[in-house]
Amino acid sequence: MNYIELLAQLLKGLGTTLRLIAVSAPLGLLLGIAVGFSNVYAPRPIRGLAILYRSVLRGVPLVLQLFVLYYVLPRAGILLQPFAAATLAFALCSGAYHSEYIRSALLSIPPGQMEAARALGMSRFTAIRSILLPQALRRALPGCGNEFTYLIKYSSLAYLVTLVDITGAGRLQAYASFRFFEVFVYVGVFYLALVGIARSGLHVLQRRWRRSSGGLH
Amino acid sequence: MADLQLLLPILLKGAGTSMLLLLLAFSLGGLLGLPLGILRVFGPAPLRWVLQAFDLVMRGFPAIVLLFLIYFGLGSLPQVRLTSLQAAVLALGLRSAAYQAQLMSGAIRMVDPGQLEAARALGFSLIGGLRLAVLPQALRFALPGLANESSVVLKDTSLAFTVGVLELMSRAKFLAASTRDIVLVYLLAAAIFWLLTQAGTLGFAALERVSRLPGIGVERKRDRQ
Repeated sequence: MNYIELLAQLLKGLGTTLRLIAVSAPLGLLLGIAVGFSNVYAPRPIRGLAILYRSVLRGVPLVLQLFVLYYVLPRAGILLQPFAAATLAFALCSGAYHSEYIRSALLSIPPGQMEAARALGMSRFTAIRSILLPQALRRALPGCGNEFTYLIKYSSLAYLVTLVDITGAGRLQAYASFRFFEVFVYVGVFYLALVGIARSGLHVLQRRWRRSSGGLH
Repeated sequence: MADLQLLLPILLKGAGTSMLLLLLAFSLGGLLGLPLGILRVFGPAPLRWVLQAFDLVMRGFPAIVLLFLIYFGLGSLPQVRLTSLQAAVLALGLRSAAYQAQLMSGAIRMVDPGQLEAARALGFSLIGGLRLAVLPQALRFALPGLANESSVVLKDTSLAFTVGVLELMSRAKFLAASTRDIVLVYLLAAAIFWLLTQAGTLGFAALERVSRLPGIGVERKRDRQ
C-alpha cells in the first residue's frame, strides 16, 4: 500500500472534518444557548416550540435528520450543498443537546439573582447577558464539552452526503487497497487524536474558569 | 391513503429489525458492561489499564468507523465471516459495553464503600458482598444513565444500513429511492424512531418507579417549569 498517498488523503479528509466542526460547533452552541434560554425565560408558546425542537431532534437519529435536509428539502425548493446540509444537520442536532445542558444550568441558578438584577435596574436582557449567561456557561461546560466530543465523532456521517472527510477518505482508500482493517484503524486514530485534543482543551478551559469564578462550584 | 398502506408495513418491518438490533446490542453491552464496570473499580491495576485501552477505542472511534472496522475489516477475514447483522450487533454492543461499564463503575462508586466493608466484616465474600449489598443499589443508581444509553443505541442502529442491515433506516432509504413519496417516507421513519425513543424513556421511567426502594436512590431534581 502507498502510505504516503494514504496519509495525504487522510490529511485532506481531516481538513474537511475540521471545517465541518469549525462551522457546526459554534453554530450548535449558539442555538443551544438560545433554545436553552427560551426554555426557561421565553413566553409559553416559544417555550413549547423549544421543547418540541429538543424532543424531536434528540429522538430521531442524526442520519435521518441529515437525509431530510439533503434529500427532502430540495422537494420544497430548498437545495442545500452537501457541506451546508451536513453543517446544518450537525448544528441543529448538537444545539438540541446543548440546550438541555444550558437549561439545567439555568435552573440551578437561584431565581433571586434575576430578581436582584432587575431590582438594580437592569433590563431582562442585560441581566441574562451579564449575570446569568456567564454562570450558566460555566455550569454547563462539562455537558457541553462532552457534546462537542460527540460532534467530532458524529461528523463522520458527512461522508453519507458525498463529502470526503476523514471517514470518506478512509473508505475510498480502503476500497482501493482492500486493506479495510488497517485503514479504518488509522481513520479511528485520527478521531481519537481529535477527541483527545478537544478533551484536554476543555480541561484547561474548565480549570481556568473555575479559578476565575473563585472556585464557586 | 393508498401510499400509507403500502409504505407503513415495510417501514414497520424495518422497525422490527431495528428493535431486534437494539435488543441484541444493548444486551451484549449490558452483559459485558456489568463485569467490566466491576473490574474498573475492583480489578487489579494491569487489567484496569487494558480496560482503559478498550474504553479509549470504543468511546473514541466514531460508531460508523467501528462498524466498518468490524464488518469490512474483521468480517472479510475468511476465518471470521460475519453477516451484516452480526457485525452491527458486535460493533454497537461492544461500544455500548464501554459506555455501560462507565455507568456501572460510576454507580458502584456512589454506594458508600463502608457497606462493602461491613459486608466483608460480616463474613461475606467479595463477590457475595457485591452481589447482595452493592449491586442492588448500584443498578438502581445506574437506571437513568442506562435509559439514556438505550436511546443512544437505538439511534445508532440507524447506522447499520451502511453495512446492509435491512432495518428502518435502510428500508426508508430504499422506499425513498423507489417511490415518489420521499417526504412521507422520511417523515414516517422519523415518527417511528421518535415514538420508539419516547417509549424507551417511558419504559425506563416506569422501571425506575417500580424498583425504587424507600430511602435509596437519587432524589429527582424537581423541575421548575
